[in-house]
Amino acid sequence: MLGEGILKGMAETAKNFAGSFVSADRLTTVQYPEQRIPTFENARVFPFLVYDGPDWAAGMRCVACQICEKECPPKCIYIEKSRDKKPDFVGKPQFYPARFDIDISVCMSCQICVEVCPFEAIKMDTEFELATDDRFRGLLLDRQQLAKSNEYYHQIHPTEAGEVDARLDAEKAAAAAKAKVAAQAAAKAAETAKTAPAKPAPPAGGED
Amino acid sequence: MDQDLKIELGKQGVFVTTLEELYNWGRRSSIWPMQFGLACCAIEMIATTMARYDLARFGAEVFRPSPRQADLMIVSGTVTKKMAPQVVRLYNQMAEPRYVIAMGACAISGGPFKQGYNVLKGIDRYIPVDVHIPGCPPRPEALMQAFITLQKKIDEQHLTGEDRPRFLDEKAQGEFPVPEPAEHDLEPPSNPGVWSAPVVIR
Repeated sequence: MLGEGILKGMAETAKNFAGSFVSADRLTTVQYPEQRIPTFENARVFPFLVYDGPDWAAGMRCVACQICEKECPPKCIYIEKSRDKKPDFVGKPQFYPARFDIDISVCMSCQICVEVCPFEAIKMDTEFELATDDRFRGLLLDRQQLAKSNEYYHQIHPTEAGEVDARLDAEKAAAAAKAKVAAQAAAKAAETAKTAPAKPAPPAGGED
Repeated sequence: MDQDLKIELGKQGVFVTTLEELYNWGRRSSIWPMQFGLACCAIEMIATTMARYDLARFGAEVFRPSPRQADLMIVSGTVTKKMAPQVVRLYNQMAEPRYVIAMGACAISGGPFKQGYNVLKGIDRYIPVDVHIPGCPPRPEALMQAFITLQKKIDEQHLTGEDRPRFLDEKAQGEFPVPEPAEHDLEPPSNPGVWSAPVVIR
């Protein structure tokens, strides 16, 4: 029959309209600035730099290897390597970014920088309220604006951050074990070196 | 007038306002966007107007299909060089006061197509943009937050003096030059009245 479809549709609308007076489930509107839809755990907007400890500059995991800069499809990352080195989380001296800018007016949230980072230093943020009227200064984030703590990372992506921490701890333990073995070997070598010069002191040809 | 005194008077049942505030309140509470979308960001813009997010709560009551009836242009998506003249022409046809929101990476800077030959590197080269929303695409909430930012910006404007809005300034540019496709690029490549290359300080 002609018009049957539109009647069905209008009946659905009327049902929802009348139903909204008795059931709160039918009121779908989220009153945005006051209420928010909880974000999904894997939600992502723009990248940020993870740091450990209380000081962002000292604890930054980034070693300025510039892999993300090269891999970034729209080329929105700008890194300048430092001239000196600072110790990283296992105590190995590493470079750090003297300058690390992300132009979020170009970034397309593809997460490739996160996937290629071998140091778990760059991760995706969920902060989206970044609208600004300042085209150039408001949308170019420097390393201080990008630096966010590991606790914050745990807050926004708990599962992923747990996995990352486990991986880093394993790496740290392996490095510590390796350092211990190396230290033992060094101590042994030092001991033999100490005893060895003592031996040739008596006249030669005594032992063999 | 002092803001605290005004709140105190409001509690006593005395409502005080100024012509400027009334004027700005009227302007910011009835911003009707123009109904046009350029690319994938438009899908988020459509979602923003639907029941769950409902942009109408902020006074963007209906999307007008004609630039003559619209106050706000949401440039939602990639502005190709072929489309740029039409966007500027539509902006010229809008009546003052008019506002522009550049939504998404492509509208602000060209985004992932920045290195390409056929995409405009930001609509702010031709028309004055009030609010930029980064994101690819921005969430519907981000568009609403940009809308609130625009409303705040309108609220803070003074009707007289140096920082008065453009439509009250007799010397301000009213009609914006429409770019034409030329041999290599659009001609003119940018509108010097609204855009100049930023000075990078390193």
